[in-house]
Amino acid sequence: MYPADLLKSLELVHSTRERRMAESLPRLEELQRNELLQTYHPDYKDAAFRNLRVGANKGDRVTHEFADLLESFSDLDHARINLQPEFTTDVLVLGGGGAGVTAALFAESLGARVLLATKLRLGNSNTIMALGGMQASVAEEDSPLRHFADTMIAGNFAGRASLVKALVEDGPHIVKWLLDIGVNFDRNILGNLATKNAGGLSAPRILSIGDHTGLNIMKVLKDEMRKSNRIELLEFTPAVELATDADGACNGAILYDLGRRRHLAVQARAVILATGGAGRLHNQGFPTSNNFGATGDAVVLAYRAGAGIEGMDSFQYHPTGVMFPDHMVGVLVTEAIRSLGAHLVNGNGERFVNELETRDLVAAAIIREVEGGRGVRTPSGKIGVWLDIPVLEELLEKGMLKKRFPSLFKQFRRVKIDITKRPLLIYPTLHYQNGGILIDEQGESTVSNLFVAGEAAGGIHGRNRAMGNSLLDIFVFGRRAGLAAVERRHAVPGPLSLNHVTRYYDRLKSLRISSVAKSPTLFPEFIVDKL
Amino acid sequence: MLTIELEGRKIKVPEGLTVIEALWDTGHDVKRGIGCLSGLCGACTVAYLEAGAQRVKFGLGCQTVVAEGMNVIMLPYFPSRMARYDMESMTSPLQELAAHYPELATCNDCKACNICPEWIDVAGFVKTSREGGYESTAEKVMGCHMCGLCASRCPKSIAPQYVGLYIQRSCARQRPIPPNLAKRMEQMAVLAEDSEFAQVAALNQAELEAYCRKILDS
Repeated sequence: MYPADLLKSLELVHSTRERRMAESLPRLEELQRNELLQTYHPDYKDAAFRNLRVGANKGDRVTHEFADLLESFSDLDHARINLQPEFTTDVLVLGGGGAGVTAALFAESLGARVLLATKLRLGNSNTIMALGGMQASVAEEDSPLRHFADTMIAGNFAGRASLVKALVEDGPHIVKWLLDIGVNFDRNILGNLATKNAGGLSAPRILSIGDHTGLNIMKVLKDEMRKSNRIELLEFTPAVELATDADGACNGAILYDLGRRRHLAVQARAVILATGGAGRLHNQGFPTSNNFGATGDAVVLAYRAGAGIEGMDSFQYHPTGVMFPDHMVGVLVTEAIRSLGAHLVNGNGERFVNELETRDLVAAAIIREVEGGRGVRTPSGKIGVWLDIPVLEELLEKGMLKKRFPSLFKQFRRVKIDITKRPLLIYPTLHYQNGGILIDEQGESTVSNLFVAGEAAGGIHGRNRAMGNSLLDIFVFGRRAGLAAVERRHAVPGPLSLNHVTRYYDRLKSLRISSVAKSPTLFPEFIVDKL
Repeated sequence: MLTIELEGRKIKVPEGLTVIEALWDTGHDVKRGIGCLSGLCGACTVAYLEAGAQRVKFGLGCQTVVAEGMNVIMLPYFPSRMARYDMESMTSPLQELAAHYPELATCNDCKACNICPEWIDVAGFVKTSREGGYESTAEKVMGCHMCGLCASRCPKSIAPQYVGLYIQRSCARQRPIPPNLAKRMEQMAVLAEDSEFAQVAALNQAELEAYCRKILDS
């Protein structure tokens, strides 16, 4: 239920709807796009960044939040920890989301013994929260080459062509695999996979399962995990450090058992790091759409082990994060809503950007409205703009919202807001780490035997990720990493060491960096901002 | 401040907190049972009694805001039997449903399972499952996030969430391969897109940009 102030602002949204429906907003010219981004997008706010002083990417521009983590020490007493492995395995997978589980399944399929360790419950991840869908070029008018071009353009040509090629070429094969294990992508009456449009796509390429695509894929993947005895699972056991051998190659990890409150060492022939992104670091104070565990651990661990990173100054702020009610701040409203033609409306009842621009531009435009005093204030002082969802019922058909967005409808039914009648107050929410640990086409990082898949990996999405490409990316690179990691199973791993950590700390100390931050973060601090 | 009973302990908490936030605020170091914090993943189910109410309600801890006099506990997990199977090796998995979940036949339609925090008509889909209405079941369980609350209420120890998932997967597997996907895969098998990509690898930045824009204009 909206309070009186917001209801008053809503009257304006309702009364201007008819006029707005007649309008069509032009797409921005290149000059306008650059100016909008440079003035309002958080990635261009210089004060929010600094240059790294240590490690493989010394000198690179990263967010303060990440620099704080990379220039700090761990809680782990690395000199005294018992490095005798409690588990030995062929492939150690860190992370229990879509990328980790896919890697584990494919490694297992080639006969490898797999140990999968995850911070939370298996499947608790951003994968489960992927609402809108997954890209794959299956439509008649589409092609992998078009997918390639769209992805490169969306990322401002900062993505690596070789990785984008792998992404788009594997796309249709990944769809086939998912269908084979029983994922029920939406189809049209001819039995074809239904494909939808999204911001920045030149052909309809989004496959979905209603508006809970990731959930329904993850359910099936978790079920698949149960069929084999060769995959061992450790839940509530996050990784806190990687281990290396005498040559600096990765050969295991140190995990932390949250229940028993003790560390344990795992020795492996190859390690796949798939612990996701970093939304819970709340860059620049932004709310986030990410799950509880998304604290950027992967980059911290890999960087200390010597892995190169890329693009850690580029994040995706999803334009439509919830701003009211308070307990839902940051929760995502799927882009599919905008793709279908919903309006963004400021406090004056005006549209202010073509809603089909890419995510970075739409987010910047919303920030421009709010900073220009054209936002709408909630009782607790948060400011956003309206996302006019009910207009879709008039533009398309009555009853379509409940039918096509059951998940969104239910989320707001709980707080007595009927999305078929009431717009939602939104503001950009920290959604995705565009950069990450640099990988090659097989998912291997610059550290030998250390593979990375999913949001933790970098080099694919450039400076802006198109909708639906992350859900594809986790399967493409999860699979590639899983298959490639198995090939290392004949090499005998040497004794575990944390020498890389010692070396890294020595460099920090020589620079007189004595940060009090501890990393990896593992869990966000709980801050009650309502008191 | 509100007075509530949290995990069996009477305590004051600020207004406006969700159950999860109230737990954190009062020093419960909860990790198990926390997931997406968006009401999507089903990790944080809770059982609660509102002030003066008779009937226990169920919901998601990250989306349930505490109220004066509420008595609430987390119920993040309930043990229920799940069958083990290799779906890819089965030719007609729906015919094997009864073998994997024999307890389904014992349902007497008491509807105690209708406590879904996603408002899924659980008793309804258990009924259609028993009667062979598999496609309709698959449709109904799309929003299920497997929290297992329904299973906690079943006097016959049926786990509707696992039965639903089995049927959902089986139905998807039985559908023929989508014609548009089959066609694309055929094209990719014979087309020499790889040679075109080989040229791409040799392009410099400006040429790459021009190349991508040309593809989109074609």
